[in-house]
Amino acid sequence: MKAAAAMLIAGAVWAQADSLPANKDAAIITEFQKRVDDYLKLRKDIEAKSGKLKASSSQEKISYQARGLRHKVREARENAREGEVFTPDVSAEIRRLIGLAMQAGNATHVRQSLRHSEPVQLHLKVNDKYPEQVPLQTTPPTLLENLPKLPPEIEYRITGRDLVLLDAKVNLIIDVIRGVFG
Amino acid sequence: MMLKQALLPAAALACVVAALPSIADDLPLKSGSTRFAVIGDMGTGGRPQYQVAEEMEQFRRKTAFDFVLTLGDNIYGGNGPADLKRKFEDPYKPLLDAGVKFYASLGNHDDPNERFYKPFNMDEKRYYSFKKGNAEFFALDSNYMTPEQISWLDKALHDSGARWKICYFHHPLYDDARYHGPDTDLRARLEPILVAGGVQVVLSGHEHIYERLQPHKGINYFVLGNSGELRDHNLRRSADTAKGFDTDRDFMIMEIAGDQLFFQTISRVGETVDSGIIEGPGK
Repeated sequence: MKAAAAMLIAGAVWAQADSLPANKDAAIITEFQKRVDDYLKLRKDIEAKSGKLKASSSQEKISYQARGLRHKVREARENAREGEVFTPDVSAEIRRLIGLAMQAGNATHVRQSLRHSEPVQLHLKVNDKYPEQVPLQTTPPTLLENLPKLPPEIEYRITGRDLVLLDAKVNLIIDVIRGVFG
Repeated sequence: MMLKQALLPAAALACVVAALPSIADDLPLKSGSTRFAVIGDMGTGGRPQYQVAEEMEQFRRKTAFDFVLTLGDNIYGGNGPADLKRKFEDPYKPLLDAGVKFYASLGNHDDPNERFYKPFNMDEKRYYSFKKGNAEFFALDSNYMTPEQISWLDKALHDSGARWKICYFHHPLYDDARYHGPDTDLRARLEPILVAGGVQVVLSGHEHIYERLQPHKGINYFVLGNSGELRDHNLRRSADTAKGFDTDRDFMIMEIAGDQLFFQTISRVGETVDSGIIEGPGK
C-alpha cells in the first residue's frame, strides 16, 4: 500500500514537472495570440469607419483604399515599439518552435526551401510598409505548421535573418524578431 | 486531413500519361471541349510580354479559348494603377475585349491585394477553385501555404466530382532550372494531398523557362514562367525533363475533350515548341 502511494506521489510530481513548461508555453502563445487579436481589432475598427477593402475593377480605388487604411493604422499605432507583440517570452518561444521545425527529417526541406525561395535582405521596422518592389520570400509550410496560428491576413514573413509579423491587407509591419535565421 | 499517406488512389493510377510529342498542333478543337490558355511570370510591361499577348490573340481567333490561368508574378515591381494598366490591361486588351476571363494565382512578386482586382476573378480569395466543363481548377497561394490552405485543398479535392483536377500555383514542386530549383518543403507538404486527391495536372511558374516533366506519381507537371520574363539557357535538362524550352517566351493552350487533355506550347513568334495529349482517368 505504502509502495503504491509512493509511486502515485512520484508519478504526480513527475507529471507536474513535465506539464509546467508545456503550460507556460501555452500561456505565452495565448498571450501572443491575444496581442495579435488586439491589433486586428484596431485595424478592423479603422476599416469599419473608413470603408472595407472590396473587390473592384479599378486598381486605383484598391490602391487608394489600402494606402489610406495603412496610413490610419500607422497613425493609431504611432507609439508601437518593437517587442510589444513579439514580447521577449514570445520571441524565445518562436525561436524554439522554429528550431524544432528545422530539426530531423524536415531540416533539409526547410533549408532548401529558404535558399530557393528568392531570399530578400531587408531591415524592416515596426510600422514600415513592406516595399512594393521587393518580392515576398516564401515562408516554408513546415514553419507555418509549427508556429502559433494567426488570423487570416496576418502573416509570418522572412526578411533576411529576421522574422516579421505582416498585416498583408494593409501591407504593414506589426512587429519583428531579429536574427532568427542564422 | 482526410488522407495523408502517399498512396496512389485508383483515379490517379488510371491516369496513365501518354504525352505524345508533335501531335496536337492547333489542338483537335472538338465540339463542346474546354479550352484555355496558360501564362506565367508575365507582368513586366516589356515588349516581349506584349508580343506574347499578341500571339495569344492570334491563337484565340483560331482556337477560341475563353479563359486564361495565370501562374503568378502577374505584376512585377509595384501595383499602382499605372502598373496594372501597362502590365495587364493594355497587353491583354484584345483578349479582355473578347470576353476572355483571367483566373489568377499569386507569385512572390504580386501584392496579395491583387485578389481584390476584379479582372483577376479571385473572388477576394488567395486560393480558390472553379469548374469548367468536366474539369475543376484549383488556384493556390504557394507563397504562404498555411495548414488551413492545405486542409482546404485536401477537402476540396476529395469533394470534387470533376473528371479532371488541375492545380496551379507559382512555385514548382519539380523543375530543372538552374536559378531557383524546386521547393522541396512545399513538395513534401503538397504532393501527398495532390496524389491522394487525384490531381492529373499541376502548372507552375517562378522559373523563367518552360519545362514539361516526366510524370511523378501519376501527376503531369508543367513549369511555364516565361510569358514575359526569360532566363535564357537556364534549363539544365535531366532525365526528368520530358521537354524544355529556354530561349524565348511562350504561353500554352490546353483543351479538355472528354478523357483527353491536349496541350500546345507556343513561342512568342508563334512556333509550337511542345505539344501532346494526356490521357485522362476514365470512369
